[in-house]
Amino acid sequence: MHMFVKLAWRNIFRNKRRTIIAGTAIGIGLASLIFTDALMIGMEINIIESATSTFLGEGQIHRDGFRQTYGIEKTINNLDELVSDLKEEEIVTDFSLRTFSPAMISSPANVSSVELVGFDPSREKDLSKIDEAITEGSYFSGDGERDIVIGRKLAEILEVEIGDRVVVTVSQAETGELSQEMFRISGIFFFNSREMDRGMAFVRLNKSQQMLGIGDGIHEIALKFIDISLSRNKQLPFWDRYSVNGNEAVGWNVVLPQMESVFALSRFSIYIMGLILFGIVALVIINTLFMSLRERMFEFGVLRAVGTRPFGMARLIIFEAGALAVISIGLGVILGFAVTYIFTLTGIDYRGIEYLGVTFQELLYPVLGINQFIIYPLSLFILTCLVSVYPALIAARMSPVKAMRQGLL
Amino acid sequence: MIDKSREIIRAENLVKTYEDDSVPVNALRGVDLVINRGDFLSIVGPSGSGKTTLLNVIAGLDEPSEGRVYLNDKLISEMSGRELSDFRRDNIGFIFQSHNLIPVLSVEENIEYIMLLQGVPKKERHKRVEDILKEVGLEGFTKRFPTQLSGGQQQRVAIARAMVSQPALMLADEPTASLDSATGSELLDIMRSLNEKRNMTFIFSTHDKLVMDKARRLIVLKDGKIASDEVKE
Repeated sequence: MHMFVKLAWRNIFRNKRRTIIAGTAIGIGLASLIFTDALMIGMEINIIESATSTFLGEGQIHRDGFRQTYGIEKTINNLDELVSDLKEEEIVTDFSLRTFSPAMISSPANVSSVELVGFDPSREKDLSKIDEAITEGSYFSGDGERDIVIGRKLAEILEVEIGDRVVVTVSQAETGELSQEMFRISGIFFFNSREMDRGMAFVRLNKSQQMLGIGDGIHEIALKFIDISLSRNKQLPFWDRYSVNGNEAVGWNVVLPQMESVFALSRFSIYIMGLILFGIVALVIINTLFMSLRERMFEFGVLRAVGTRPFGMARLIIFEAGALAVISIGLGVILGFAVTYIFTLTGIDYRGIEYLGVTFQELLYPVLGINQFIIYPLSLFILTCLVSVYPALIAARMSPVKAMRQGLL
Repeated sequence: MIDKSREIIRAENLVKTYEDDSVPVNALRGVDLVINRGDFLSIVGPSGSGKTTLLNVIAGLDEPSEGRVYLNDKLISEMSGRELSDFRRDNIGFIFQSHNLIPVLSVEENIEYIMLLQGVPKKERHKRVEDILKEVGLEGFTKRFPTQLSGGQQQRVAIARAMVSQPALMLADEPTASLDSATGSELLDIMRSLNEKRNMTFIFSTHDKLVMDKARRLIVLKDGKIASDEVKE
């Protein structure tokens, strides 16, 4: 065994240039797989954080059925009890109470439909990034109950500026009668998200409750956890604990199931990429081994002649493939780690780019994981050994005489 | 009467036909041959007369199209690939014209290789390597690689490798072809001495007059048949 390992290792370096070229090609493939995987994880985290921290929240509590109909009469049950329980929750760091209603917003110049959201600005500040996205005016700086914050796109449509007046019309919950209020533009935000910049307007919670005629009722409690990964865990007891009394508590991945689907698709695309890459690697390895086999025909004939069993010949070829894999993996891991590590420090600037309906708010940092350095290299090693079985079988079945004759040609 | 206890090889009606570009080539056409233990024998003949083919068939490296080969009373043509490998490893030593050695292994490792396949313990291997290198006049060359040796030295290592497992039969295909006459003669003396000391059987396939002169038995092949079989006094 030891002799075959020694022989394989030395054989692989007989044609250094070929080994280096093949090893580098395979190594670059592995490195790119490690980098892409790290980038995808980073992108996933970035998208989740952008989506949840912008406005969505990591989890939400609603009245049953609200998410399906957005009926303004569907306010959360047992609100006071719920709020006091949430204050005691160790895994919840912040939460914000919100109302939602479709509304018409009109200025002297134009009119537009929006989603009117009411919240407590001080609580919301800890949960979403509306305050950070203000580009003009301020984020509910005073205590004016008629302050309204709108998106830049909406401001352009309405042709309004800070301090201008707008009229908001909503339909009341119980009676369905229209309720109109005049507001003053106190802030304009820009998220670079068409949906938000064009279609949302924020007012104080008590004002929206009053307009909707829902008393102290609210439609949503947006949640922030001590660890964002908790929100993705569908088995978390928290969801059951708060999905009672006609309410439902869900994570962001339930609110936005399409995002989870896209992540699954991304992971699948990595597997496809891996398969393509491994297919190319397999061809490189087979080609390298066959070239090496062809060059050493006489030698293989001699080895068979002096008594090396067919299995011994096969083992030698598989060991040579293994040696090539070890070199390639070494190169790939070093290169993959180095490149990825640099980007984990510098980040990649995708800020402002909208993807899956979410705008990247922060630099994108690839995430290095131990699996990238175990699963991919191990898969590559196993694949290399597997594909080498074909040339190994040929070497094993080789007649010593034919091998020596061909070796002399 | 044939003394069967002396026989090491018995070949009966060996026929070997190759296909060369779909044209059948009769390399051996019914060779009957008995080789005794301790023979120092040369198979000679013009190119294409079937010398190397006969050697290969005797060694179990190639299968005859017809006929049988017994080595130490064992019918080798019926052995499986694995059995043949083990049989060659334990009973036959090979010396080829050139490219005998594995270039990535040192002299010591090349010689050790067969013993490793045989499972000889390390200590015993090292002792045998030292002894055989002394015998072929290459003491102190253990760590050198084939590329660091002359052609003659490489052939000596090949002889050492073939000898070290103490096989019953040594087959040498044109062993002096790539050497100058002085080196060739020196090597033949080494082999002759081993033959005499250990009663080991040597079969050469050769064109070289020097080998023919040193051989004690000369078989001439012509067109795949034995034209003459002469034992020298």
